[in-house]
Amino acid sequence: MAAMPQRGGSRDRDGKTGGRKKFFVRRRKVCKFCAEKLEYVDWKDVKLLQSFIPERGKILPRRISGTCALHQRKLQTAIKRARSIALLPYVTD
Amino acid sequence: MRLYDIVVLLTPDLSEDEAAKLTADYRKILTDGGAELVRDESWGRRKLAYSIERKRDAYYHHFQVRSEPAAVAETERRLKLSDQVLRHLAVRADEELKRAAKAAERQKKKAARRPPRPMPAPAPEAAGTAPAERSE
Repeated sequence: MAAMPQRGGSRDRDGKTGGRKKFFVRRRKVCKFCAEKLEYVDWKDVKLLQSFIPERGKILPRRISGTCALHQRKLQTAIKRARSIALLPYVTD
Repeated sequence: MRLYDIVVLLTPDLSEDEAAKLTADYRKILTDGGAELVRDESWGRRKLAYSIERKRDAYYHHFQVRSEPAAVAETERRLKLSDQVLRHLAVRADEELKRAAKAAERQKKKAARRPPRPMPAPAPEAAGTAPAERSE
């Protein structure tokens, strides 16, 4: 009866010392547009869009930027529009 | 009446004055078609993100107009014809703005409502098995 909680405790200590689990505290990603309450993604706002364009000129994926699905979709059209009038590059190398 | 964003790119071969004159022409086409200018601003000579017709920069001009579709269509037709215009983009903006305003409203309403405090449900006393287990 008493053995049960003890074993649980020792496993905890294991996790702290040698375990690879939970070693990094991952920062929670928040959608930039939700956080700043920007509902309309302006395709003329180069500075804003640029922050979602990595070096290659590709659109930063949601998985990395943390943008929510709705805003990613809006961002996508905004970037594509900006590209068509040469505000943003299609490709950079 | 719809709201449109129109961006026009003019060749850098033009002088500052010529570019201003040309944009004035397009402004006139718009207003003659019954468009009402909401915004009318020049972004000046800007570097292009990629070269268009071997040009590295262009004069950008942005119109935001409240207009019937016909006036914008006519302006676009003229923009396409001109050799001085490197690129143009005319996009309807009112629907998206309306949707954005609605979303903002929804958010405000949500914020106004007091967030319900997460109250843990009182656990009902487990009967039968647990006390029996405790007594050895």
